[in-house]
Amino acid sequence: MGYTLAEKLLASHTNDGRATAGDIVEANVDLLMVHEVLGSRILDVLHEMDFKKVWDSSRIVVINDHWAPASDINSAEIHRRNRNFVRDQGITNFFDVDCGISHHVLPEKGLIVPGELIIGSDSHSTTYGAFNAFSTGLAATDSALILATGSCWFRVPDSIKIEVTGEFQDMVMSKDLILKIISDIGPDGANYQSMEFHGETIDKMKVGERMTMCNMSVEAGAKCSPMTVNGYVNKWMETLAPSKRWKPTLPDVDADYSDTRTYDINSSPLGPMVATPDNPTNGKAVREVSGVPIDQAFIGSCTNGRIGDLEIAAKILKGKKIRNGVRLIITPASKHTYMMALERGLIKIFMDAGGIVTNSTCGACVGGHLGVLGAGEVCISSTNRNFKGRMGHQNSRIYLASPATVAASALAGAITDPRSV
Amino acid sequence: MSKELKPVTGRAWVFGNNVDTDQIIQGQYLTVLDYAEMARHTFEIPRPVFASKVKKNDVVIAGRNFGGGSSREEAPKVLLQSGVGCVIAESFARIFYRNGFNVGLPLLIIPNVAKLVKDGETVTVDISKGTVTIRSNSDILHGKPLPDRMLNLLREGGAVAWYKQTVGKH
Repeated sequence: MGYTLAEKLLASHTNDGRATAGDIVEANVDLLMVHEVLGSRILDVLHEMDFKKVWDSSRIVVINDHWAPASDINSAEIHRRNRNFVRDQGITNFFDVDCGISHHVLPEKGLIVPGELIIGSDSHSTTYGAFNAFSTGLAATDSALILATGSCWFRVPDSIKIEVTGEFQDMVMSKDLILKIISDIGPDGANYQSMEFHGETIDKMKVGERMTMCNMSVEAGAKCSPMTVNGYVNKWMETLAPSKRWKPTLPDVDADYSDTRTYDINSSPLGPMVATPDNPTNGKAVREVSGVPIDQAFIGSCTNGRIGDLEIAAKILKGKKIRNGVRLIITPASKHTYMMALERGLIKIFMDAGGIVTNSTCGACVGGHLGVLGAGEVCISSTNRNFKGRMGHQNSRIYLASPATVAASALAGAITDPRSV
Repeated sequence: MSKELKPVTGRAWVFGNNVDTDQIIQGQYLTVLDYAEMARHTFEIPRPVFASKVKKNDVVIAGRNFGGGSSREEAPKVLLQSGVGCVIAESFARIFYRNGFNVGLPLLIIPNVAKLVKDGETVTVDISKGTVTIRSNSDILHGKPLPDRMLNLLREGGAVAWYKQTVGKH
């Protein structure tokens, strides 16, 4: 029996070169990303460990992205601690509050390399699966142990193979596809497992579209969600990481999968999806919720704040005005994304339409700042989670959708099918 | 120092399925630097009285997929800080499961536990054996015994203590 992508990617990081689903293995980490959790929690754990020096300063990335720039005195203190840590430890891969959201900044800086084992102190670290990497999220204590030792134990996950064929209709995005898939699987249907994506639809996707899919696999509980390398990933690596040496990893043809799911979006057409409160797996066809009045429309986050997301939103908003009384907030995924949007005239389109463009931050998605919801408010959002209280008051309500659906809804002041505007 | 895992006796706080980490501790409190202060907001959305009424060794019981969502270790930490002696669920989200043992919070998996235990009942949990005894009728519920790796983490008092005993010595 052959091996899955998750097994192969982990096996190349164990000392004996083995990793079979169900095994517990010790693996060597290629890259560890930590954000504000470093200053708020990890430093205390390191102190308890009598820690002196990171295992390899070149394999650690520190970023201040969640409350960027500081939203209050506590986040300012956390940022200050992170700055001191990278200085004391000689960590050069440091991205301060001016850079953007980790899951977009790391690939943009050429730090995500196919075949590697990447850990982040953030559940959405599954995003890097788009680059044919094994990547997953852990928290403070595991991050502290990796900072000290460079290795970590893993239970090698079973894998669910998801094969997608067919072409997207106009105004339908990879966000709609992943909302559909995780709604079919359920909030724990992929718990402890790898969601391995295949098929011509995935092969044809641009890097940003792939990242949206891998990003949200964690909402079905997935540990990781590796894809195979496609032409867009190749081009990305040639352009943004020309000095990196890597080889693509493929699963064996006789790999053992715990489940296989197939989607043909030609024979069963996929329309825009909306996840209703309070779980990302509550996906419904947009027509089932169209007309629900909204107070805020948000486009941003590690899920859908990239240039392709801003472009489709601008296409919908160009020359139009959002509904009076609705707030449209746009948070580009990185400073670089912001600059591209500026050069392409997108920022002007958003501002002319009545939108607010913020600096790049996790911000509103985590209920941190720059778009926090008040009691009873309704938001349609291109983000990843609509748990109760996620973006602010516990009685606010969040509907998750693609940037196209969010933009169309901002114009109408109510949830709207982007194909209708 | 390896410690014995004593049985835990306390009142049950019973929750449903898919209690995500925002329900355990909301994102808005993550910049609070002191766990004692943060713990005052534990389960603020689903059970606003929890933080003021919880007693040492109380047991949190839940349905499927407890602790999904954000990787925040603050979730098991505020439970531990609140005095919770054990969490028993029908299943746990994977990052929460790791985090629990890492910080020294025992977690047991018992099928249908949220239907079999009533809110407020007194229960005794034997972590080594993976059993729960309901005081009112002496019923014993059996879970899967914990893997040795997890039991050892608990006996050492969490991953940091384990590290200091093993890796850190060399």
